[in-house]
Parts: sequence; C-alpha cells; structure tokens
Amino acid sequence: MSNPKPWTIDSDLDGIDLGPEDFKASIPLKKVPAGDVFEAARAGDVDRLRYLIESGVNVNARDQWDSVALYYACLAGHLDAARMLLESGAICSEHTFDGDRCHYAALNLKVRKLLKAFEARPPPLGALQSALRETFLGCRGNRVYLEESDGYVLAVWEDISMDFIDGLPVSRGPLSNDESNAYLFPSDVVFFVQGRPVEAHRVILSARSPFFKKKFETDWKQRREVRFSREKLSYHALYSLIHFFYSDRLEISVDNMEDLVRICKVCKCEGLHRVLEKEVIHQKYAEYKALKDVDNSQKRFILQALSLPEPDRLSSALHRILQGSLAKQSCEGELDVDKCVTGFEAIKMTESSDLADVCIKVDKRIFRCHQVILASRSEYFRARLFRMTNFLEGKYSLPVRTLPLLEERDLSAEAFEKMIEYMYTDRLEDIDPDQAEEMFDAASRYLLFPLKRAVADVLLPHLEMVSPAELCHWLILSDMYGVLKIREYCLDLIACNFETFAETLEFRAMLLTLPPPSGDSSMRTTLPSIPGTAGNAEQGNLLDDLREKWLEAEAAELDKRDESAALFDKRLEMLMLVAEQERSTTAEHLDDD
Amino acid sequence: MSTQKRRNFQIEAFKHRVVVDPKYAEKTWNILEHAIHEIYNHNASGLSFEELYRNAYNMVLHKFGEKLYSGLVTTMTMHLREISKSIEDAQGGSFLEELNRKWADHNKALQMIRDILMYMDRTFIPSTHKTPVHALGLNLWRDNIIHSSNIQTRLLNTLLDLVQEERTGEIIDRWLVRNVIMMLMDLGSAVYQEDFEKHFLNVSANFYSVESQQFIECCDCGDYLKKAERRLNEEMERVSQYLDPSSEAKITNVVEKEMIANHMHRLVHMENSGLVNMLVDDKYEDLGRMYSLFRRVPDGLSLIRDVMTSHIRDTGRQLVTDPEKARNPVDFVQRLLDEKDKHDKIISMAFNNDKTFQNALNSSFEYFINLNPRSPEFISLFVDEKLRKGLKGYSEEDVEVVLDKVMMLFRYLQEKDVFEKYYKQHLAKRLLSGKTVSDDAERSLIVKLKTECGYQFTSKLEGMFTDMKTSQDTMQGFHASQATNLGDGPTLVVQVLTTGSWPTQPSPACNLPAEILGVCEKFRMYYLGTHTGRRLSWQTNMGTADLKATFGKGQKHELNVSTYQMCILMLFNNADRLSYKEIEQATEIPASDLKRSLQSLALIKGKNVLRKEPMSKDIGEDDAFFFNDKFTSKFIKLKINTVNAQKESEPEKQETRQRVEEDRKPQVEAAIVRIMKSRRVLDHNNIVAEVTKQLQSRFLPNPVVIKKRIESLIEREFLERDKVDRKLYRYLA
Repeated sequence: MSNPKPWTIDSDLDGIDLGPEDFKASIPLKKVPAGDVFEAARAGDVDRLRYLIESGVNVNARDQWDSVALYYACLAGHLDAARMLLESGAICSEHTFDGDRCHYAALNLKVRKLLKAFEARPPPLGALQSALRETFLGCRGNRVYLEESDGYVLAVWEDISMDFIDGLPVSRGPLSNDESNAYLFPSDVVFFVQGRPVEAHRVILSARSPFFKKKFETDWKQRREVRFSREKLSYHALYSLIHFFYSDRLEISVDNMEDLVRICKVCKCEGLHRVLEKEVIHQKYAEYKALKDVDNSQKRFILQALSLPEPDRLSSALHRILQGSLAKQSCEGELDVDKCVTGFEAIKMTESSDLADVCIKVDKRIFRCHQVILASRSEYFRARLFRMTNFLEGKYSLPVRTLPLLEERDLSAEAFEKMIEYMYTDRLEDIDPDQAEEMFDAASRYLLFPLKRAVADVLLPHLEMVSPAELCHWLILSDMYGVLKIREYCLDLIACNFETFAETLEFRAMLLTLPPPSGDSSMRTTLPSIPGTAGNAEQGNLLDDLREKWLEAEAAELDKRDESAALFDKRLEMLMLVAEQERSTTAEHLDDD
Repeated sequence: MSTQKRRNFQIEAFKHRVVVDPKYAEKTWNILEHAIHEIYNHNASGLSFEELYRNAYNMVLHKFGEKLYSGLVTTMTMHLREISKSIEDAQGGSFLEELNRKWADHNKALQMIRDILMYMDRTFIPSTHKTPVHALGLNLWRDNIIHSSNIQTRLLNTLLDLVQEERTGEIIDRWLVRNVIMMLMDLGSAVYQEDFEKHFLNVSANFYSVESQQFIECCDCGDYLKKAERRLNEEMERVSQYLDPSSEAKITNVVEKEMIANHMHRLVHMENSGLVNMLVDDKYEDLGRMYSLFRRVPDGLSLIRDVMTSHIRDTGRQLVTDPEKARNPVDFVQRLLDEKDKHDKIISMAFNNDKTFQNALNSSFEYFINLNPRSPEFISLFVDEKLRKGLKGYSEEDVEVVLDKVMMLFRYLQEKDVFEKYYKQHLAKRLLSGKTVSDDAERSLIVKLKTECGYQFTSKLEGMFTDMKTSQDTMQGFHASQATNLGDGPTLVVQVLTTGSWPTQPSPACNLPAEILGVCEKFRMYYLGTHTGRRLSWQTNMGTADLKATFGKGQKHELNVSTYQMCILMLFNNADRLSYKEIEQATEIPASDLKRSLQSLALIKGKNVLRKEPMSKDIGEDDAFFFNDKFTSKFIKLKINTVNAQKESEPEKQETRQRVEEDRKPQVEAAIVRIMKSRRVLDHNNIVAEVTKQLQSRFLPNPVVIKKRIESLIEREFLERDKVDRKLYRYLA
C-alpha cells in the first residue's frame, strides 16, 4: 500500500468525487525521517506518517498549540496525509473543537470535500467494538436515544418503560422474520436515570469500571433494575459513558461534559477521568473558529480509545475478565461425566466474581464464559443461546442459580481457548502453526470470519520455511476454509517454483483430488461450473487460478498466452497421469503390507 | 490417498478423516433430513442443535453444499405438499384457521432449519447466488400452498366473502383475516397485490357501483352523502384493522370513484335536495360533508364551486335587476349584505374557508353588483342613511362592522368614481344640514376609503371636513367682532366652502330679503377683511333658516325652513296674497326649486303655512298663494322639509352621469399622457390596455372614450400619428 493510487479503486472512495489528479500535492512534500506525527502531517511525509500510525501513535493527540495532526495536514493541503489520518480514526466532525479547526483551516475545496466525506462516515470501529456496540444499541431502551437525537419525538416512551417493569425486555412479534437476525442479546441490567432507561450488561460494566464491579458484587447483585433518583445525574452523560464502555468511542455534547467527569470519578474510570478533566478546562477557553454562534449543547467532544492508556481500553478490560474466568475454570475431574451427556447440563453457580453466566464444555475442559460476548461476536452462539427451546438443548428448564452448560464437540480445548481469547480481545497471541488448521476450522464453524485473517497473519511467516509438501497441504486447507491470504501466498509460491513442485510426490497426489481446470480460456476468470467447488465468492477453481499465476510468473507474451495455457494444461495432465500410477503402486504396496 | 499424503507431515490431519468415507455425504444428509422431518412433525426436542449444526457445517465445508441445498428444497417441498393437502381437506370455515395454523408451524420450523443451516446461509448461498433459507422457505410456501390450484382461488374467495359479509353488517374474525393477510405480505407485496388486493379492489368496485346506484335512486342528496361517508370510513377502518396500509389509498380511491365521482353531477343537481337547495336552506352539515367528500375526487370541488357561483349570480342578478327592490336603496344594499353574510358563513362553516370558494364568491358579487348601474348611488345612499340616523345607538364596534361591510361592497364596484361623486353630494348635504350622527364614523369611513383607493380619492372629502372646522372658527370670530352692533337682527351662520372641494352647482343667487342682505354684507366685509384676494358667492340653494311666525289666533310657531322657503315666507310679511308669478319675480328662485319649495309650504298636511288656490296637487304658474291664518299645530317647532326625493330623479341622474363622464375625460387624458411620456411610441390597442389597467381601480374606461381622448390630444398636439403606420402614436414633448 505504499502507492497512493489504490485509493482510487478503493470502494471507500465511492462517496468522494475526487479523481487521482486531485491527490497531487499543492504544496511541495518534504521528508521528515525523524519527525513526530505533527511534523510528518505538516510536511506531507506519508511514509513517516504510516510508520508512526502503525507503531500506534494517537492520531487525535494535540500538540502544545492545541492542534492535531489532521489540522496541519489540512492547513498544508496534503490530501494524502489527511486521508491517511482520517482512515486511522482522526476526528473531523464539524461540531467538535478539533474538527472545527480542521474545517476552518482546510486549504482548499478538495480538502474540505475530503473532510465532509469522512465526517459523514466516522472511522470504523474494530470488530470487537462494533459487535458490542451493535449489541448495546440492539437493546430497545438504548435505541431510543439514537432515534431521539435524530429528531424524533418519542411516543413509545411509556410503552418501553412498561416493558421493563416486570424486568424482562421482551421482543415482540414473531421471531420468524428476518428481524431475528437483528435481534441481539438482551440486557441483564437496566438503569433508570431521570426516568429514562439505559440497558447494559453486567460483565461489560464490571470490566470497565471498578465501581460497577463492586456494586454488582454487593448491592446490585440480585437486581435487574437500578433506579437513580438523584437529579444531578445526567441521563445523557451516563448514556454516553456506557456507550463508550461498549464501543471505545465517546461522543458527548460539551454541555454534558462536566456531568460526565463527575460520573467518571465515581465510576473510578481513572484514565478517562483524567483526559476529560483536561478537556473540560480546554473547552472553557477553546476558541471555535467557524462555529462562533453555536452554543455548548450543539458542540460535541469525541474521544477514541486510542487517546487513553492501553489498560483503559476495551480489549484490555475484557482480557482481564477473561483471565479471571480462565483462572477459575473447573477441570473435568470435578464434574460428574455422566451429567454432561445431555449436552445442556447445569453446574452450580459458584460464588464468584467473574460474572460468568455460561459454561462451555470442550474436550473435557469447562470454560466459564459470558453470554453477551459470545452472542455479540458469533451468530452461532447467539442462536445457540437463544433459540434452543425447540431442540434437545432446550428441553430441561434450568434450576435457579446454576450456570447453563453447553457442550461443543469435535474441537480441542486449546483451540477453543485461543478462540475465546480472540472473541474477548480481538487479539491473537502465540499461535502455534500446528494449531492454525484447527483455528481455521473454529473460525469457520463459529462464523468468526475475522479470526481467519488474524490466524493467517500469524501463520504467514511460518510458511516461509515449510517444505513443498506441507505447502500443498496448506493450499488445500486455505482453499477449503476460504483463507484468501494463505491461498494467494501458496499459489504464488507454487507458480514461481513450478518445477520444484512438479517433482514433489505430494503435489502430484494433490492434483488428483482437485476438480479439473476449466478448459475454456474465457472461463478462467468466471466462477467454475462444477458444483461444490467454490467456498467463497472470490475463489475460483484452484487450478485455474494456478494457471493464471503461472502465466504471470512466466511472463508469457500476450499473444502466446493461450498457447502457454494449453501447454500448462498438458503439463498438468501428464503430472496427473504420473500421480495415478503412483497411487496404484502405493495401493499395491499397501496391499502387500 | 490423503491419509497417505499426510503421513509425511508432522501436522495431525484433523478434519480430513471424514472425507475418507465415500458415503459420508449420504450419511450426514440422512441425519439432517431426518431432523427436518422431526422438526415438521413437532418432534424436535430429541435433536441436538450442536450436532446438527456441526453436520451441516461439515457438509458445506467439504463441498457438499449443493447436495445439502437441493436436499433441503426437496424435503421442504415434500412437507409443504403434505401441508397443502391437509389444508385442502379442511372443511368450510376451518379452512382459514388451518391455513393460519400451518403457516405458524411452517414459520417456526423454518426458523429452526435456518439455525441449523446457518453456516450454509452465510457462506455457500451468497457465493453461489442462491436464495437464502428463509426466503427459500417463503417462496416454497408461496408456490406450494398459496399458488396451488386448489387453495389459491379458495383462499381468495374465502377472504372476499368475509369482507362482503362484513360489509353487509355481519361480524367476522378479523384477527384471523389479519394473520392471513400478513402472511401474504410476508410472502412479498407482489403476492399480496396479485393474489388479493387486485381482486379485492375489483369486487369492491362492483359492490359499490351497485350500492351507489341503489342509494341514488332512493335517497336525497344529504342522505346519500351520509351513507357514502360512512362507507368510506368503514373501508379505512378495514384497512387499519386487517389489511396492509398500502391498500388504503387504493380502496378509498375505489369508493370515491364509485360512490362520488360517478354520481357527482347527479348529486349536485338533485332536485329538491341538491347543492342549490342546501345553499338556500343553509345546511351547513350537509354542505360540509359534500365538501369533504368531493374534495377527494378530481374536479369535485370545481363542480361545487361552479354550481355555487352560478347560483349566486342568478340570485344576485334577480336581486339587482328587480325594479321593485331598487325602489328602496337602503333595503337593496341591506339585501346584498345579507346575501354576502349568508354565503360567507357557508364558506366558513362548510367549505373550510377554502380560498378558491372565497374568490368565486367575490367574483360573483363583483359580477352582479355591476349589473346595475345605480349600485354606486345606492351604496352611497345606504351609507348616507346609516350615517344620518341608522347608526344611532350603535356601539363603536358595531359601526365599524357596518362600515367594513360597506367597504366590502365598495370593493366590488367597478365605477368607483361614480360612487365618489354621490358620496360627495351626500356628505355635503349631511355636513351642511348638520345631520351627521357621528363625526368619528364619518372620519373612519374616510380613512377606509383612503386605504382602499389612495390619498387622491379622499383629499376633497377631507377638504370638506376642514372647511366645516374653519367655518366654525370664522363664525366665532365674526360674532365676537359683531357682538356690539348686531342688536336683535337675524343671526347669521355662514359656512365658507372652498370651490372645488364641494359638489356645488353654480346656481343663480336668489334675491334675499333686505334684513338678511344686511347681515350678509357685514359678514362679507368681515371675511374679506381677514382674508384678502378671495371671492365669496352665496349658495342660497343649500342654506336653512329658523323663522318665528305668528298665526291668526296668536299662536306662535318656530319654523325651520330652507333659504328659498324663507325668502318666500318673508314676502308674506307684507302681503296676504301673492301669485306664483309675483313670487318668482320677487325672489328669482329657479322655477323647479321654487315649485318644490311652494309645494312643501302649501300642500303638506300639518305643515301648510300657506294656502293655495285652486287646491290642486300640483303647483301651476297661475296659482295664487295666501297666508294660512288658520294654521294650527300641536308642535311649537316645525320643520318644513323641501320635497326632495332621496333618489335622484331621471334628469338628475342623467346630469350626474354626464358630470361623471366629464370628470373622467381629464383622468383618461392624464393617463394617456403618462403612458406616452414613458413609452414615446405605442400602438392603439396597447394604449387602450394600459389606460384600462391604470384606471380600473377607479372605473372601467370605455374604449370609445379613450379613442376620443386620443383624438383630442392629437388635436392639441400632445400626440401625433405615425406617418407610416397609422395605428402608432408618438408622443410630442
């Protein structure tokens, strides 16, 4: 991605009508090899900027002149740098202090266009954050806030609070419709502030705030509903904070910031508290350039978790929770094996502080997990946890005060552990290449597609040192599980060293297991006609793809391409013949044994 | 082979053992197929979701997705066929219930199947562009149940029958119908439209076409509208209760078309109960209903409006052209006002204050008021009447209301200058005779006219008021200066009128009695002493006098008479008998005035201070007059009015008309010159158009008049004809 050109074919660009020529620098670019993010942005040194961003610099930080890096990029008219910053989550929303300055400083219309395009589309959240945010917003009581801020007047208010009175936010209408996909995990605690509900999940709040953790262990242990009667507690501030707990993105109007600071102090969210306190003082003296007439209720403050120290971010918080749960994990020995046969047995809810609300038995080990996280991240678990009433798993109603126990078969405990670690934290550490295959399987099975990419990233360095035989194995696997990154890598490698592979026994054997390439050259780029061959929309026939790669690698003249292709097909046929013979001899050999 | 291949690897072949079994796919599918059967048989509690999901997942993973998918289609189709049979077998009324129950079952089963096959739904189906499981289930249901030949028509007929039953007043199970309709909607709005809505609308159209025919034969307009409104509301309620909201516009459209649009003209013109009758009888409720219903159909409102307009024009024309009614101008105007009030009320109560209706009303009034050329005169007379005595005892607000109404009529007038002329005359009379009830009311009307027509229109009227005020001051000054030497001579009150502001006709001054002449001369001296360079001429035809008279038996009366009458009576101080000729010679009063004065002195019973011989009704040139010794009256004070018609007599009318025409000439000329000054060159037609536009706030100039004025201007060398094009005029500066 060192070339800025790909942006023009980037689907992200759909909303912006800037041609490639617009990205030509209007101010000469400089190189600042040792500069910080501000200098790099001002100089338009894209390489330096990329390096800094990849090393985890906070793009929304301000320098001693209260300016953010994006401000310098806009001021100097460096579209490339500005775009890179925006894609990495730099804030440009118009009613914020930083955004306001960027809009004001924008050198020309192109820069302003770019800002507008990104303003309409805030930087994407991580997979974990967006999944949890969706769960949060999926709760009926919370959706109301969004609709309201869109200018709706809500007539359904009474209606909603009625739902909560008996404690269960029930979904309405038949679940059979497509809406059931959108129907997410229901909350297990509701706060009423100034008469309005905020729905939440205990484990998330506990993970992010020591105050909530303590409360849930003591006063609020049995409560589904907590009413705050103090007038001083602001609904908007609390809503923003809890939204932040789920999504790692804080958005609040300047009016409510002081309330939020107070709440943070009570909740012991120290990192956030510190940043906000500073920001409140800053806002008091901040001079808005373009928004002189806008009052504080319309001004906003947006904070990405990147501005907070590492331990204060969502993934670290959930990591701590997971560690706690894993530590308490019971081993198979403590359990009556027979009880697990039904597949949905219950174990006693031990007096524990990890707030686990489900146990999953995998390969004789039992994991204590949190339903909300599993359900948010995997559609499979959402179905498994909610819609089982008609299956065997839902036959026995659970006794009170026990944890439900699910059993997952055909999976190793180690792989499951890695998977839930990924589910909780979006991170994957210390993967053994040996485990990769099983991880691919788990990722597919539990519909956790981003995990495949994560595993592939870990696996790639390992593939550089494997034998051709093993590479064939990975090629087959990646084709099956649809791991494009690995598949491409293997195909490239085979195409470049085709002769080496042709001499490998395993490669020839593999050819026999694959569906034959389509003969027609026009079919090469289209989908194969043989049923069941395609695992993924972008994936064509493996041998067709291999031929393409080979032709590229051999750099055949364009007019001779068809000839070369025919040559290659012949070659493959010969190799397959050899493989057939080898197989029969091996079979005889085995028979002899 | 793969086992053998992998023997060389250190990696444990984790997944691939399943592939070894060539019957793997078959076996796994059998498990899943069994599960689907069990689900449809409500027997799923023995199935493990985890296991089924895993199996389906493995099948897709090992490229048996196609088999799984086609197997699903076959199995589901088979079950749906069975369901279809059981629905077909349902008898009579239980048909819908069975259908509904099976639909619920199918939905539940579909949800479960979808959960099991979730992996296929997420990976295999998008990549092969197949229909997702849920949509597949719905499509199969549509094809196998709803579109199966035995069910499709039966379902449609059942639904339509139910609707028909409800229309005829029976109670049906709305909940059930709603569920079935919702099912059709779930299957896609096209299914709903094709399989139900289309037919529903057709049947409804027939139903209402027949029903409206029945109604219109036996009901009067008001009842019919009530029924139509009820039907419309019923249909809207039906949609909200158990149909899809998208149908509302369509079904109401059908009802509107069948019940209203098709019978619109017949309804409006219905005898004894149509629109005209409603208007005449002030049936606000019926009119309101008609308005709200007709508003829904194209051209409905314009029909009402047209009929209303022609009705108002007709009645209006009758009103203004009826010679009977024209006899009493006050009554005439009052009728106009009543008519206007009536329709205003109808528009505000029944027609939602619709602007287009108000405009129609206004244009109708404008049309018929101007049909009668005497309307301006009558309106002015009406005001005169009101301001003379009619408004006595009214509060200020009431006065305002009356004046506003008059102004409204005034706005309809095309010949505003005629009104001005009459108004000026009447105002002059009121002012000079001191008859006006309230100065405030007078002024308020002037202000209204000013806002309506501009300063120019009222400047003369205002001048009249100023003169009245100045005269008062002058008189005070005069009396103060004469206080010492007046003695007990006659008291003189003079109103000095500015020439031009007042509608004075130059009339030959009569011979005043000597006593009066003396005082007049004193006043003239006084006035010219204070104001140099002015000329005073006496308008004897407009004054009044108070006389003290002693009759035969010594009874004394105070007579309030006009100046002319005073002159005549003063002659009888010196003679008991005077012939007409003698009086005429002595006073030099114009003959018509003299006759009228004598008439009122001699011929009105109770006020006949003179006696005439012979005792005929009319005054002849040879008559002789005597002082009536025997005159008696129980009043000390007597007012002897000059016989003068309130309305103008025919020659007077002609005269006024002529004067108006005369006044218009300079205005037309001024307009032409104004236009030509700015345009320099213009052709005839355009000049006429522009002049008409400029003057229409005052009157509608006649093109012939304009042509004459142009010719006159050419004569006076303001304009010239173009030498080439005779139609073009040029302005000569």
